[in-house]
Amino acid sequence: MRRARAALELLAPVLLVVLVALFGTIVSSSTQTYVVTTLVNVAIVVALYLFIGNSGVLSFGHISFVAVGAWTAGILSMPASEKPAIMPSLVGFLRDTTVGNVPSLALAAAVGAAYALLVGLPLMRLSGLAAGIATFGVLEITHNVLRYWEKIGPGLNTFSAVPETTGLLQACVGALIAIVVAFAYQWSRYGRMLRATREDPAAARAVGVSVYGQRLLAFTLSGAVAGLAGGLYVHLLPVNAESFYLDLTFITLAMLVIGGATSLWGAVVGAVAVSAVDSFLAEAENGVNVFGRTLDLPSGTRIVVVGTLMALVLILRPAGLTGGRELRVPRALRRSVLTKFSA
Amino acid sequence: MTVDWQTIADAFGLGGMYALMAVGIGLVFGVLRLVNFAYGQLVMAGAYSLAFAYERGWPVWVGILLCFAVVIVLSVAMDWVVFRPLRTQTPAVMLVATFAVAFLLQSIALLWFGSLGKIAASLSSLNQPWTVGGVDIRKISIVATVVAAGCLLALVLLLGRTNVGLHMRAAALDFRTARLLGVRANRVIGTAVLLSGLLAATVAVLMTVQTPLVTPDFALRDTILVLAGVVLGGMNRLISATLGGFAIGFASGFLGGALPTNQSQYLPSFLFAAVILVLLIRPGGLFTRFGQQAAERV
Amino acid sequence: MTTPALELDELEVRHGAVQAVRGISLTVDRGEIVGLIGPNGAGKSSTLHAVMGLVPPGGGDVRLHGNSVVGRSPEDVARSGIALVPEGRRIFAELTVDENLRLGSAGRRFGDLDSVYELFPVVRDFRKRHAGALSGGQQQQLAIARALIARPEVLLLDEPSLGLAPQMVDAVFEALAQIRDSGIAILLVEQRAQRTVALADRSHVLANGRLRLTLGPDAANDTETLVSAYLS
Ligand SMILES: Nc1ncnc2c1ncn2[C@@H]1O[C@H](COP(=O)(O)OP(=O)(O)OP(=O)(O)O)[C@@H](O)[C@H]1O
Ligand SMILES: [Mg+2]
Repeated sequence: MRRARAALELLAPVLLVVLVALFGTIVSSSTQTYVVTTLVNVAIVVALYLFIGNSGVLSFGHISFVAVGAWTAGILSMPASEKPAIMPSLVGFLRDTTVGNVPSLALAAAVGAAYALLVGLPLMRLSGLAAGIATFGVLEITHNVLRYWEKIGPGLNTFSAVPETTGLLQACVGALIAIVVAFAYQWSRYGRMLRATREDPAAARAVGVSVYGQRLLAFTLSGAVAGLAGGLYVHLLPVNAESFYLDLTFITLAMLVIGGATSLWGAVVGAVAVSAVDSFLAEAENGVNVFGRTLDLPSGTRIVVVGTLMALVLILRPAGLTGGRELRVPRALRRSVLTKFSA
Repeated sequence: MTVDWQTIADAFGLGGMYALMAVGIGLVFGVLRLVNFAYGQLVMAGAYSLAFAYERGWPVWVGILLCFAVVIVLSVAMDWVVFRPLRTQTPAVMLVATFAVAFLLQSIALLWFGSLGKIAASLSSLNQPWTVGGVDIRKISIVATVVAAGCLLALVLLLGRTNVGLHMRAAALDFRTARLLGVRANRVIGTAVLLSGLLAATVAVLMTVQTPLVTPDFALRDTILVLAGVVLGGMNRLISATLGGFAIGFASGFLGGALPTNQSQYLPSFLFAAVILVLLIRPGGLFTRFGQQAAERV
Repeated sequence: MTTPALELDELEVRHGAVQAVRGISLTVDRGEIVGLIGPNGAGKSSTLHAVMGLVPPGGGDVRLHGNSVVGRSPEDVARSGIALVPEGRRIFAELTVDENLRLGSAGRRFGDLDSVYELFPVVRDFRKRHAGALSGGQQQQLAIARALIARPEVLLLDEPSLGLAPQMVDAVFEALAQIRDSGIAILLVEQRAQRTVALADRSHVLANGRLRLTLGPDAANDTETLVSAYLS
């Protein structure tokens, strides 16, 4: 039974992601970009879930790890010939090193993890409101530094000329890696310990679980996944420092909250559902054809809709659309299967 | 570093405005334990009202009246639609919710008014200098300082001398006991929300003088800085929150004016590094007596 | 028969899965002290909280002069004439003694200061001081004074003698007797069983959320009855 539950917990989000990717193969290439973005969003939201969902501690800082990953992968995979034009002040070592697509993604994950570890060392002592505000500070600092420090990146410029390797396949594989990592973590004894600290920190401490240590581990791991997602992002679109700031923080948190922050299934469902709505509205802001009528929404509609959704979910159904639970086989079905087996 | 009187006066003006915003945020935090991330959007709404009135050539006082009306209606609506239903949630959830509300309001502004921005310049004559002791200082710097000081004084009197003020202070210290004594929760919360709305409207009027171009992200940066200041000062007490707000406004006004750009651009990083440090070392804030911890409502 | 000032009727209180109070009924009349004693976790505080509307009762009724107060908010219950002196006093340490007293009348008319001052002279002597600077006994007196200032019809006290020196307990119990004589109905929750039984017109023993026994003042010196009541 435990096995079956575990299998379903992994299979359901994997299937959903694969379905989304397959859907991407049958649509026009302009729609495909939305599908690819959706898959990258899945990776980011799963990273958020890995920490926030398992620990119950709020973080506004994860987009910093996405940004750091994007910077790493972008700088290292940009052709050396293009670097001086976009990043004239880059330090020598970064200027002279160029790596391929896959190594750049691996490095993005590694740098994301390292940065999260560095940040987490002091910050994981905080919880509640203090954690929310401190991680927000991390976002501000990271954004501020990336925006102006031209020795380590393009500063105010945009990352153009990065090889656009994130297509359907790469995004799908990235999202699946994120899901598998999150799944493996939550079934490991570390994941179970962290969730115990979420339910009752005092009791967990009493049986010898280090709340600080467990949170730090999850934070670092989620930093790695976020870094990877950042790498995927920079290989998808020309991004800059503004791409990884309040807007992305808002939209990914909204995805997590709307889906249900305490389950992997919720994170993936939230990412897919909100991305779908968001993509549709983004398209509609440019005018789309719906059932023979042209729908032309003014720009800004997207965030109004997503913001309203998020506020509604928070007020009416704080556990999110999925109720924050993993997908279960409906009880009736389970019973009939069981009786068949025992008969 | 170049320091002149105008820079100092500007710093005071900005410090005063931030202090008012800090009080607005602190008042609501006191009674609801809710950090209102959407506070800046109240200011933004007020600024748009001023621009709306200016575009139609309405007299200044009508614009100001409209600004106050809109901001107060909006803050009361926010209380009813968002704060009250979320009252039983944890502070972290409430922070996420107000974060969402901030974005929502900002994009509603984008929908209505577009991204180009509107002009609210009916009080722009306040940008003219006054000559004080042989030094030219822009009027708005002085007006902002004086108005802020006046508002703070009025608030001190209200909190210290009236019954509703006493009830608010008691509710901020221990809401449950206050209610047991007959303090009306809804009345206290309503008053806090109303006062914080009044302050937001005041800030909107002052801020549009210096920044007459009103865009959807009007006052967003300022709110983020004020929040940092409130945490730095200590959000559990109104007085320390206000000092924190003033300090951060003064510092960014002063350093922003006195330092060359290539140095002042990292100011936010230093401010937020300080915020994190304070949260780690003195969770109660800089301007509180030692040992007073920021309590979250249980 | 006249309706009692306070009447609990099969009151039940649940905290999630824990059933703290399992249907208790009692009455308190004007000019009467009723004691409610029992071991830790018996459900004494839960009973008082349910009366005040701090926790919704799981069943039963609470009536003030015959009118149900169930479903009202704590501030409305306070305004209708029931005052609670909570466990641990809960005075506002950072406000002055005077301000604490003013808060006491938050819900009702500002009562008569003189009689409160007469009952608790310290409260007058230290009125400008921060309440946190008072001693534990003085703080308890302030807490009772604060509850009295609104001239409630019913006064609930949750372990007022907790942590007080013996002379201070004497002073507090002496004051309670005077308050009773002024015509207020008092429900006194206590752990000091013997003293409570001696003071109260009758005392109920509460254990595991149920009333086990009712004792008159003459049982105060009957140690055997008391002990067996606790152990039952
Ligand atoms: N907020 C709460 N949540 C869950 N359980 C509670 C809560 N408050 C009280 N209880 C439980 O209800 C029961 C009765 O508690 P209550 O505080 O009423 O006891 P009491 O008689 O006042 O004890 P004491 O003498 O220690 O003050 C206890 O088992 C307690 O653990
Ligand atoms: Mg008790």
